[in-house]
Amino acid sequence: MKSSGLRINNAELWGGAIWFAISLFVLEQGRQLGLGSINSPGMGFMMFWLGIVMGGLSLIIAVQSIQSEGPSVRSLWAGTRWAKTLIVIVTFIIYAFAFTRLGFLLSTIPLMLVLLRAIDPVRWTIALPLSFAAPLLIWWVLERVLQIQLPTGMFEIG
Amino acid sequence: MDLLSQVAHGFAVALTPINLLYCFIGVFIGTLVGVLPGIGPVSAMSLLMPVTLAGTPESGIIMMAGIYYGSMYGGSTTSILVNIPGEATSVVTCLDGHEMAKQGRAGPALGMAAIASFIAGTIAVVGLMIIAPYLAHFAVAFGPAEMFSLMVLGLVIVTFLTQGSMLKSLLMASAGIVLGLVGLDSITAQPRLTFDRLELYDGIGLVPVVMGLFGVAEVLSNIEQGIKRTVSNADIGSKLPTRDDWKRSKGPIGRGTVLGFFLGIIPGGGAVIAAFASYALEKRLSKTPERFGKGAIEGVAGPEAANNSAAGGAFIPLLTLGIPPNVVMALLLGAFVIHNIQPGPLLMVQRPDLFWGVITSMYIGNVMLLVLNLPLIGIWVQLLRLPYNILFPMILLFTVIGVFASSNNVFDLYVMIAFGLIGYLTRKLGYEAAPLVLAFVLGSIMENKLRTALIISAGDLTTFFTKPISAVCLSVAAIMLLMPLIPVLRKKREQVALEDGQS
Repeated sequence: MKSSGLRINNAELWGGAIWFAISLFVLEQGRQLGLGSINSPGMGFMMFWLGIVMGGLSLIIAVQSIQSEGPSVRSLWAGTRWAKTLIVIVTFIIYAFAFTRLGFLLSTIPLMLVLLRAIDPVRWTIALPLSFAAPLLIWWVLERVLQIQLPTGMFEIG
Repeated sequence: MDLLSQVAHGFAVALTPINLLYCFIGVFIGTLVGVLPGIGPVSAMSLLMPVTLAGTPESGIIMMAGIYYGSMYGGSTTSILVNIPGEATSVVTCLDGHEMAKQGRAGPALGMAAIASFIAGTIAVVGLMIIAPYLAHFAVAFGPAEMFSLMVLGLVIVTFLTQGSMLKSLLMASAGIVLGLVGLDSITAQPRLTFDRLELYDGIGLVPVVMGLFGVAEVLSNIEQGIKRTVSNADIGSKLPTRDDWKRSKGPIGRGTVLGFFLGIIPGGGAVIAAFASYALEKRLSKTPERFGKGAIEGVAGPEAANNSAAGGAFIPLLTLGIPPNVVMALLLGAFVIHNIQPGPLLMVQRPDLFWGVITSMYIGNVMLLVLNLPLIGIWVQLLRLPYNILFPMILLFTVIGVFASSNNVFDLYVMIAFGLIGYLTRKLGYEAAPLVLAFVLGSIMENKLRTALIISAGDLTTFFTKPISAVCLSVAAIMLLMPLIPVLRKKREQVALEDGQS
């Protein structure tokens, strides 16, 4: 293994650092909740010790990443279709916010259309009917057969 | 005789029309998700967990179990015809199964996979029926200290077997326990890590976590890589193996069944390691090991028998100890909990209808699967031709519906998206999701057992080492934790390291 020293775009180092921050948070939460005593452990007892274990593990990962050459952050996405993944993530987040505001049908039909057309475009003749049919069928099964209420949104559709 | 009357009672439950229907739905969906790469039994079971609320607990659990063992059958189809394992358990089947397909012997490969699965699945149910009651009696010897240590062992085995760095797997398992602690404290009923959100008082939902980490993250990774698959157009022809195929396969089926069953029982073990172990064993025992990887039917029969047998064995720790040995069983535990039922040593006494009904339904399910996977194989092959760009929006839509229907709360949708992102990013950095999910389910139980054990022993930590069962579990766990520190053993571990979502 080659020694690479401290490289700021080292993905493993970032991973270790994020985990270390999380472990500090867990440790502090455990302390605040109360450790109790060994014969009567408190609510924060296990969390506190888990925080210590996590901190130790994340430090080892961070140190290992400095000692040996790990992948750079950029290389993790090199040669991948990351933009398409990003489109799905953003679409999905927008969908989650629109879900209760617009209702199930008015939010799901555009979601399906975007996913079918924007990633690896499906022909319009398939994408359009599928975008309408799938949500409508699911809506019918859930609302009418299983009696599960879906959000109707501000327009009260569905 | 007592056993026989209980089995008869189980059949009476499993053969009611509604339970037959649920069993069929379960094995059908299991085969479907087994065939389709990109969606596995974990996602499917999470999706259908809300449906179990509609019927009796027996119906729901029968269906969920059917999805699990059904996916073991279906996973081999894609391995053989497309060289893409539908499930992690079918990775090994690709090696010789697809080679057989390329040589024009797809039919016998598919046939042998289905028949080996049937034989092993059925024998495993017999084993489950015989062993489970005895283990249930033994399980009363498990106090809080033993339970805690056994759960520690299960988590260590999972981290040991997952692919990549063990340190990372341990970190994920620790994070899983912390996430499992969110909500009301099981002893004091005080809220923890709830940040004044009422939705978190009952803890983070299992369904959104699993759907995010396995369903959404899997879709994001697949889109990024761009899944392309070509289905073998070879004529499937006769699915019946030849006399020579049978001669070669009967030993591997027998050994795979026994090996798989016992590996399935071990917490953290399961179907994936069983399939790998069976393949390695058959290759070692073969007089012509050079045929392996070039279309040897033993390489299909052994692993397929082992993974189905392991699926049966995995029910034992859940039904007798209440401890899920893998992620799928953790979901099944969730289904029990939804119905206010605690699996464990008392399940057989308190709910014999459920206990025996679920076990005997597996016989019926195995017969259904044989029919679904032999005469109807053509339908599944057609399904394989469904392009991923049509499939993935449907998967995402089903995850949304599954999550929302399980809680009727949009908050869970946010949780699922958050865990989808976490799952996608952690995969990128080589952190496996399986230890997190298992630890998440076990987290609050582990904490409760640890604190109870300490209270009972008046703070004496040696209680974990003076009780024989607990001491053995912790010793094995310690050995497994130390193994990667020895270079030769680390290499061995890397050879058997498995993919996530095993189970």
